[in-house]
Amino acid sequence: MDPVLLRLLLVVAGVALVTLLGLALRRRDGRIVASATPESDGGASGGGADTADDAPRLDASHLDAVGLDTDGAAAGAVLLGSPTCAPCDAVKAILSDLAQEREAFRWVYADAADHLDLAREHRVLRVPTLFVVDAEGRILGRTSGVPRPDDLRQLLDGRDVDLAA
Amino acid sequence: MRSDLATDDQGRLLIDVRGPRFGAAITATLLAIALVVQGPLGVGLVAWQWLMFAIATLAGLAWSPYGNLFRALKRRFDLGPPPATELEAAPRFAQACGLAVATVALVAFAAGAATVGWIAVAVVLALSVLLATTGLCVGCELYLVGQRLRQGRRRADEPA
Repeated sequence: MDPVLLRLLLVVAGVALVTLLGLALRRRDGRIVASATPESDGGASGGGADTADDAPRLDASHLDAVGLDTDGAAAGAVLLGSPTCAPCDAVKAILSDLAQEREAFRWVYADAADHLDLAREHRVLRVPTLFVVDAEGRILGRTSGVPRPDDLRQLLDGRDVDLAA
Repeated sequence: MRSDLATDDQGRLLIDVRGPRFGAAITATLLAIALVVQGPLGVGLVAWQWLMFAIATLAGLAWSPYGNLFRALKRRFDLGPPPATELEAAPRFAQACGLAVATVALVAFAAGAATVGWIAVAVVLALSVLLATTGLCVGCELYLVGQRLRQGRRRADEPA
């Protein structure tokens, strides 16, 4: 085969492959990874808690450090970002909309560079990374990238974080 | 700094997020042609792209030729206001990454290692295609990781 034609085919195939890979990566972007199921209450633990106590959580020290006060709130969110991150602003806008809709929802923004211990412990590789936690700091779900607002609403709907706070 | 461009409250350049994708589309097209035809024309195209990376990296994105082409087209065809703006730091770092790999390619061509050179060109092509078609900027992500590491080290060096 003519080498120019062969290279043309290789380049076209490579471009298609990279594009498909990128689309797959982008579909994963912003998807909520749930880490605790609110439906698990009354299970083996039998206690009043509706989430398993061994669920991953943000320590009180971490919550203090980022300044999230969940007193009287049903759920909160910690957004890790950086000053040069454009998608972080999009996530901030989504969170402030949610906080207006739901009184029992609090959120804070923190620079990931200021909270490297948290980032290391929870393997935060990218900004924006968002943690949604219950009042005790148990992680209900996390996302990297810009989440869809309705996905976040659905996550919070399972937590009675409604207007009737 | 050119005075007609948008800046944030600290005077840092803000760019239209569509600009880097537009530039990446041109870069990808030129490098794809270079990779197919190879020969003196192919190497010439790689050298041209090296120059584009060098200007954007050293002089800043305000002077990026592709960025300014995008600004001109935006005015000419009334593409509307930017959907969002971003600080130039991360995309400028991505241009520096492109410059580094393009330098490897040119050095390899000069040393007679054409295959190594074309592999380096293929790497730049793949990353440009990724940005142009899906908006994912690997160089920008690397900048954020690097910045976090650097700040972490600086903080660790401070006496407790």
